Amino acid sequence: MIKPLRKRHLQIWTTLAVLIPLGIILAWIAIPKQAKDKLLQPASTQAFPNVLASAEKDNYTVRVRSNNDTSQLQLEWINKKTLTYPTATIYWTTNDMKDDIDSASLIGRIEARGTYYFLFANNKDQIQIVAPKGFHFFVYDFIHQKVMDTITF
Amino acid sequence: MGASYSAISWNRQKKIYDWIIFSFCVIYLTTFILLTAIFNPNYTFETVLIRSTSTLAVLILHVILSIGPLTRINKRFFPLLYNRRHLGVTMFCIILVHGAFGILQFHSLGNVNPFVSLFTSNTHYGSVADFPFQALGFFALSIFFLMAITSHDFWLHNLSPKVWKTLHMFVYLAYFLVVMHVMLGVIQYETNPVFIIIMIIGAITLITLHLIAGTKEIRKDNIEYKLRQDGFVFVCEVNEIEESRAKIFCIDKERIAVYKHENKLYALHNVCKHQGGPLGEGKILDGCITCPWHGYQYLPQNGQSPPPFKEMVNTYDVKVNDNKVWLNPTPYPEGVERPGACIK
Repeated sequence: MIKPLRKRHLQIWTTLAVLIPLGIILAWIAIPKQAKDKLLQPASTQAFPNVLASAEKDNYTVRVRSNNDTSQLQLEWINKKTLTYPTATIYWTTNDMKDDIDSASLIGRIEARGTYYFLFANNKDQIQIVAPKGFHFFVYDFIHQKVMDTITF
Repeated sequence: MGASYSAISWNRQKKIYDWIIFSFCVIYLTTFILLTAIFNPNYTFETVLIRSTSTLAVLILHVILSIGPLTRINKRFFPLLYNRRHLGVTMFCIILVHGAFGILQFHSLGNVNPFVSLFTSNTHYGSVADFPFQALGFFALSIFFLMAITSHDFWLHNLSPKVWKTLHMFVYLAYFLVVMHVMLGVIQYETNPVFIIIMIIGAITLITLHLIAGTKEIRKDNIEYKLRQDGFVFVCEVNEIEESRAKIFCIDKERIAVYKHENKLYALHNVCKHQGGPLGEGKILDGCITCPWHGYQYLPQNGQSPPPFKEMVNTYDVKVNDNKVWLNPTPYPEGVERPGACIK
């Protein structure tokens, strides 16, 4: 190696010795504690006070919450691990016999680990009709076009 | 050395080297896929392929980047340097699979051209957590591509060594892009700390190796030879140089190798014409100085490669007085014959 090249190598690695640790530290600090909601609808970031139903799975915890006068229902989705499928949209259906996106209501989309809140019902009359029947949600991957999981309360 | 270009001049050592690379890659990928199938059966095949190829490529990249400084620190690592470019091309092929499946998985099922989608689906360049890390990976892949397609000696000669070397120095930029691609990508989502630990250990290892090697080389460059007489500089005693070997001295601007061969001393420019290897760290085989990196040869008396090869290096005057070696650092043009200094 000629002398100018040796000098160039030393300059480059001295620069990298500063930039790489800096980059690693900045990226580490920026790791989100709670996933940002890149949702298909605006959602609240506060949990409603009443838990109506709860389900625990390996990768996530799902709860249906309501406000105090049960005029609004909220789906709380806690993603415990990174998703293993490319996309995950959540649908709500009143027909637990059929996971069909055409007849279901799109609630939102989950991505990274963290906690998500989706408002999925805000009509008190409707809630009073559907609530006794239980709640049925399914997770749909629109890239592979298949239902990845179902949650029924 | 080759008088004409062939794709690869296979020899036993290259075959062994390449078989080791191939076997390692197969074992690694198979193990990764099997372990994922056991511990994370929900992962899709595309995800497994993307992750397995990415981790393998990062591992190989760290090995490649550590070979250079390791050979400066300890000559036992020279065999790794011999076919380093094969390792580089292999890494590129693996990372190409990773990039192709990544684009397929995340950008190809929409109504936008996948390569346009790569740059337009996420434009949060002002955010750290949401930074479009895939673009960083794309640029790193582009650099590796250019390096892989110009890895053959054909390009070394036709682009000129200076241009070729400048292009291949971009590997360091590519390394930085890879680190940030990982840190701003998978690390932002993955709970398992093993990824960040691997990246930190890899970066620390490389930085340390390069700084140690660089500091060692600078110390060699800064040795002063103060005793001068009639244009000659006293460099060492005759018995400090082994038979058929050289001792390297850095005088004024460049390094000069002084060889002992058949009771004479010869001085040549230390830098091999092929890829800048340290001729002085090689030995004389069949009467030719042989570069330890890739085996290029030069005749000690004139710095010329034996016919039909045409490479030449500068020669220098050397003399011996009372067992003391004196060297004139003014170079003769490349290939000029100079009589060796007799050792009495």
